[in-house]
Amino acid sequence: MGDWSVAVGIYEGRNVPAGPGMNNARRVGVGPRHPIVRWVYHHRQAAADSLHKLVFEPISTLLTWMVLGIALALPATLLVLLSNVLALADTIDVPARFSLFLNELTTLEQASDIARRMEQRVDIAQVSVLDRVTALADFGVQTGLESLIESLDANPLPHTLLVEPAAHINASRMDELADALTNTPGVANVIFDTQWLARFETSLLLLQRLVIGLGLMMVIGAILILGNTLRLAIEARRAEIVVIKLIGGGDAFVRRPFLYMGLWCGVGGGALAIGLVIIFLSLLASPAATLLALYNSDWQLQGLSFIAALQLALVGGSLGLLSAWQATTIHLRRVEPK
Amino acid sequence: MIVFDRVGKRFDNHDAIRDISLTIDSGEMVFLTGHSGAGKSTFLRLLMLLERPTSGCLMVNHRDTSRVKRRAIGTYRRDFGIVFQDHQLLFDRTVFDNVALPLHIAGFEMRDVNRRVRAALDKVGLLQRERANPAVLSGGEQQRVGIARAVVARPKILIADEPTGNLDPQLSAEIMSLFEAFNQVGVMVVIASHDLALISRLRHRIITLNNGRLVGGGGHL
Repeated sequence: MGDWSVAVGIYEGRNVPAGPGMNNARRVGVGPRHPIVRWVYHHRQAAADSLHKLVFEPISTLLTWMVLGIALALPATLLVLLSNVLALADTIDVPARFSLFLNELTTLEQASDIARRMEQRVDIAQVSVLDRVTALADFGVQTGLESLIESLDANPLPHTLLVEPAAHINASRMDELADALTNTPGVANVIFDTQWLARFETSLLLLQRLVIGLGLMMVIGAILILGNTLRLAIEARRAEIVVIKLIGGGDAFVRRPFLYMGLWCGVGGGALAIGLVIIFLSLLASPAATLLALYNSDWQLQGLSFIAALQLALVGGSLGLLSAWQATTIHLRRVEPK
Repeated sequence: MIVFDRVGKRFDNHDAIRDISLTIDSGEMVFLTGHSGAGKSTFLRLLMLLERPTSGCLMVNHRDTSRVKRRAIGTYRRDFGIVFQDHQLLFDRTVFDNVALPLHIAGFEMRDVNRRVRAALDKVGLLQRERANPAVLSGGEQQRVGIARAVVARPKILIADEPTGNLDPQLSAEIMSLFEAFNQVGVMVVIASHDLALISRLRHRIITLNNGRLVGGGGHL
């Protein structure tokens, strides 16, 4: 034990003015650093400390990362698939198509004649003839009513022309074309078929909403799970927080390590999610290519781009920070010295 | 300087502190005594802003404490060194890191931290134990670690709540002379203690509380 009675050494040197040529701030023993330097130092300290704590508990850290990784990977994979579908939909030439039903008396030769004449027009790309016999047979096959059709005395269907307008024409030219086609001799009825297009676009919209909704739910779940993890971390360090508050650590000082912990958990989860999405997509790539080949498309499944991967890690980090923010806001206030 | 001006603190149904007015000068050493429940703890808690007065005005270093906002409480507390009866040490780190904590909060440089922590530990006679975990230390040693932590950042005001509560008379006397040594270099020292035999030997002002009222050692205002 030291000599208790002597003047206390650690107070020596107090209030000593800086000597000539001495930089006050850099002098050993002068005191705390400049507030900005201190702020940066505290951030570095908190970042390193919380990373250190995570690394020293590898199992629970890995579990947290997995939970976040899975919660992020699922909507991310769906988003990548959705963007593939949207891109694929763009490549499909979606010609609005006219179906022209001819008079019942029109023969197949006359029908071909009308078709050839129509193809001369600049606003028409292609005209194909659907003859009544084939049309009836197809109808029978599609509906399963072959026996009923065989029992018919005569074919009730007329010959049909399928008219594809040129890709470049606008809506008003389309109306003009529709008028022209209606007034063509031999044409009984014109059906401008846009319904399938509307169905297709609505389906895409539905899919898009579904993916966004699922993604939001997963993300909110991830925030809550991480928030709970942080609540437990706060509880585990209650004694330390109380002591720090008692000896002059402010709310920000106490909060900082937990914010960094959330950030690291989020970034780690995001990185894991990148890996999961890449694995998932590589599993899907080959069957998807085969499926598309069956539809005569040489489309290749587009994977996660580098930018998208970065965004995923960034989203992970932001989510981590966000849930740490809400967890510390709710729970740190309750940890006060008694 | 600490000025209590008609300070009162009322909890739900009783007054812990009633109408106390007193001044403690910078560089002074005072004892705060009274039976348990007399208001000693509340007195100290008001100083630390762990509680706020319900009436009157409390000035610390010419600053009205009611003006200290929640965000500024940390900075405010850094003017104090506090020694707790139950030590409040952290058992997940070494003696050195416990003592270094106030310096980290205040943002001292590493070189400076090492120098000051060693000086403080040397002064309480525990330099050899700096790498030990405080849990393996005796009660008296833990109290000295607490004192080292309280003085390491060189606060202007040192507050101790029953610092000798669990110690034998000889250790208690040693702890008290340590506080006197700090006082001799200009630190204000406020010690709450019910060990009248010990504190009356030490010829410092004794502030006595009874049932929340000031009954002795009021001093000027």
